[in-house]
Amino acid sequence: MPNNPSRAAAIVAAAEADQIGYLETPKTDMMLGVEAIHNVCKMAGITTKDIEGFANPGNANNYAEYFGVVPKWVDTTAVGGCSFQIHVAHMLAAINAGMFDIGVVVNGQAGYSRRNLPRGSGGGGGGDTTGPDSQFMAPYGIAGAPSQYSHAMTRHMHDYGTTKEDFAQIAVSTRKWAGLNPRAVMHSKETNPNGGPIEVSDVLNSRLISWPLNLLDVCLVTDHGGAVLVASEAAARSFRSKPVWVAGAGEAIGHATMLEMKDFTATSAIASGNRAYKMAGMGPEDMEMAMIYDSFTVTVGITVEMLGLAGRGEFPSLFENGAAAPGGSFPINTNGGGLSFNHSGMYGMQLLVESYRQLSGTAEDGVNGLPGKQTDAEVCLVNGTGGSLSATGTLVLTAD
Amino acid sequence: MPDYNKPIPTYDTTTNKPYWDGAKEGKFMLPRCTSCNRSHFYPRIVCPNCGSRDIVWEQATGEGYLHTFAVQHRSFGGWGEETPFVTAYIDLKEGDRVFTVLRGVDPEKPEEIMKKIGSLCRVEFDEASDEISVPYWRVVE
Repeated sequence: MPNNPSRAAAIVAAAEADQIGYLETPKTDMMLGVEAIHNVCKMAGITTKDIEGFANPGNANNYAEYFGVVPKWVDTTAVGGCSFQIHVAHMLAAINAGMFDIGVVVNGQAGYSRRNLPRGSGGGGGGDTTGPDSQFMAPYGIAGAPSQYSHAMTRHMHDYGTTKEDFAQIAVSTRKWAGLNPRAVMHSKETNPNGGPIEVSDVLNSRLISWPLNLLDVCLVTDHGGAVLVASEAAARSFRSKPVWVAGAGEAIGHATMLEMKDFTATSAIASGNRAYKMAGMGPEDMEMAMIYDSFTVTVGITVEMLGLAGRGEFPSLFENGAAAPGGSFPINTNGGGLSFNHSGMYGMQLLVESYRQLSGTAEDGVNGLPGKQTDAEVCLVNGTGGSLSATGTLVLTAD
Repeated sequence: MPDYNKPIPTYDTTTNKPYWDGAKEGKFMLPRCTSCNRSHFYPRIVCPNCGSRDIVWEQATGEGYLHTFAVQHRSFGGWGEETPFVTAYIDLKEGDRVFTVLRGVDPEKPEEIMKKIGSLCRVEFDEASDEISVPYWRVVE
């Protein structure tokens, strides 16, 4: 690979907003993101004025202005929840080209608070009434992402003979990790009346949302703010916090609207994953843990197959015998996932924060000093999925 | 005005006009590229298969095969009153795919619908407004 940017930059710190989850006092998207940036700078031992590059889906300019920074570089790529993996990929390339040394990828998202705030202060935006979604999808009663992802799960079950029980195992495994994370919404009965351990039968008996997806196959809707600092190789060791190297990065877009998804059991993660592996000079066999976007159980099932962690139709092998769970040989979603930790709408930021924590070895939460180290893994595969199984961004991160 | 309480697509007088005008007459219209001879959906002014702008509209068979489905237990507005109902993707005989609310199946028995994947489906139209008739697909075998 000519001019390979592998390890030209590192994530040097990762932090969250002051509070996350279900906030009693509503906060806006911007407040949550601003808190996270302030906290991540404190962790790294710099000030917000030291940031040269800003990345956020849609609002990088507003964040820069908020901190009184005239940035050298911005990226407002907005392709759904995986935007943040793609921001890191773009930052790696820009840093490798010498455009700047220190950047922040940020997200603030009042997924829960939004309902208690005046309209317009959350997110969203007007649709094109002549676009394909408005003309050919909306008339048929679709109700958000779960009502679409369910069609992919049906087809996976049809093609490979997988079952609702197989997918439910993913939710069970992920909840076990949440039990080890005190910041997870579903950590325990103390954090939420519905928290604590679950079994496959709990998933199958939970309310049907969009068959074959039951409620416990579906992610939470919570508040979150998160930020990671990315710095050049030259600058990476000058911070108070440890570097975690970006060894590989890849992005891919399979489609925008689900009408154009050719194979409902496959996503563009096969392409973004292969790009990331190639840049890193590594393969799936070299990965020691994975952070996989779990908007729904089906998202994980399909994605691990795309990334070569399991064969096509064979994702259950990672979950049925506990390999992906605490104590298993290949930890997946050690924070408790979008299913049981926190999911604000675009979950890619949570993936970045958690993978930094595990590989940096410190594993404290960067705000309240809560412990969070779950594995001794030194290589983490991170994959975000955005839209309707549409866009993907894959990173291979390695410990220092 | 017809008594129709579901979302009605905006009558698009640009790209999709022949589609909605056809639907009004009970015809399922598709764009076909005369350069590569392939039909596509959703309609565009440039062929997504070969990049040509030589697009013509033709009446299609209105038949296809059930590709996948879901049973919606949660929805909004008029559809909120209909739950559970079945949504599906249909592989058109002419190629490419459409999304629909599927008729001719029992939403309480998804395992039975699973056996219908690959089955023949046919389009029908509901009059929704003076300008728009909405296509629905029904399993017919």
